[in-house]
Amino acid sequence: MTQNFTVELRGQEEWAWLVAIDLFLGGLGGGLFLLFKIFSLPPFVGLVALALVILGALVLFAELGRPVRAWRAIARPLTSWISRGVIAVSLFIAAGALSVAPSLSIFSFLPWNQATTAGTVLGAVAAVAAFFVALYPGFVLSASPSIPFWNSPLLPVLFLFSSLLGAAGIALLLSPLGIPGGALEPIISLAALLIAANLGLVAVHLTTLSRSAEAARESVRRLNRGTLGWTFKLGVILVGMLLPLSIIAWLPPVVSQVEPSAAIAAGASILIGGLLFRYCILKAGVYVAFPLA
Amino acid sequence: MVIDLKRCVGCQSCTLACKAENGTPPGIFWMRVLSKEEGTYPQARTVFLPIRCNHCDDPPCVPVCPTGASYKREQDNLVLIDQDKCIGCRACIVACPYQVRFIAEDSKGYYGEKLTPYEEEHYRQWQPRTVQKCTFCAHRIDQGLEPACVQTCPTQALVCGDLNDPESEISRLLRARVNFPPRAELGTQPSLFYLT
Repeated sequence: MTQNFTVELRGQEEWAWLVAIDLFLGGLGGGLFLLFKIFSLPPFVGLVALALVILGALVLFAELGRPVRAWRAIARPLTSWISRGVIAVSLFIAAGALSVAPSLSIFSFLPWNQATTAGTVLGAVAAVAAFFVALYPGFVLSASPSIPFWNSPLLPVLFLFSSLLGAAGIALLLSPLGIPGGALEPIISLAALLIAANLGLVAVHLTTLSRSAEAARESVRRLNRGTLGWTFKLGVILVGMLLPLSIIAWLPPVVSQVEPSAAIAAGASILIGGLLFRYCILKAGVYVAFPLA
Repeated sequence: MVIDLKRCVGCQSCTLACKAENGTPPGIFWMRVLSKEEGTYPQARTVFLPIRCNHCDDPPCVPVCPTGASYKREQDNLVLIDQDKCIGCRACIVACPYQVRFIAEDSKGYYGEKLTPYEEEHYRQWQPRTVQKCTFCAHRIDQGLEPACVQTCPTQALVCGDLNDPESEISRLLRARVNFPPRAELGTQPSLFYLT
């Protein structure tokens, strides 16, 4: 067995598709629950949000080397963003489930609902937890001084906005199932605003890093060239942002006249872009150079 | 620890000594010597950079660990891993700027699925799918011995000792020679210095 020990820049290979899917589903669920509360969406949207976060947690279990010990991950909330995230996800699942359960007929015997004080408190706790679920992945990455591409205060904002955009995307996707036009209208506007904000933030992030140290420049180079470059430019920018922005721009001003197929297309493209965005951010992570490099 | 870059000849004795002492699995090197070609013909030369865990004073791998598996040993500030607590989330691997943390996906040996008696004995020291790294040969330190890499180095390029003792050889070398801690700008405060 031969080994080639060289000082070349190396991209991180620890976190890839499974982590991208986990971050995507968690962010999507957290963001969707926030939209559910803010725009008073139908109860099934809250259930979908809950299901997405649970699915994300299951994917995370699959990624762990020792999933049986996962309960230990709540041990360091004072220093570890993963710990904080696991606590937020657990709290969200518990409070979210209790909050939306009365909307299901089999749980109609429960003594609280959205109108009671207990229901309001549970909904508020779940919403706060959902916000953290959508926010914390950016902090997990930005806490790594080893990877300059991630080690930026912009990353948590990017992840939060991307989660909210994904949530708007899934709301558009679900709109034919019974999201009223009055609620859909602000969501469409929010999606357009978030796409514009994400495009701006991505541009600022890449421009700043392209003038930084070697590892950061290498990350930007990887996002512009090769397989990852195509994934980023076609998948994230074109399909995930420009295409839905164009569809939204062409939608009729009266929401009731919006073709379901247009809403589904816009929502699906946002979701594809959201997943690829996380994958690209993970795969573009390049470690700082060795001291002699 | 100090590493004298002028003495290192890139023989990888430290790499092998570490493997022999700690029985790490294939593809995992707690200690390794990187090489880089510098200059152009006829002035070309190869420079060597031994790398390993720097047992930083402010290690970025410890606070990111969600379980407390990565910790600093109180008596000597060694950065160690409690493998019974590690969940294999890899956060510490991506947090380490020195790329000296590893995860063994399985317990395969150098000669396939069946382990040699030597591997069987040494593989008990770590668990598959948990993170492992240089322990500074804590088991040897506890017996008053030097780490295997230090003891093996034929050019005595590696020197370990007490940085707080002004009379120790390591302190004397740091006073006498130009030195740098790797990537000090990251604020990790490595306990390792390269002499140039």
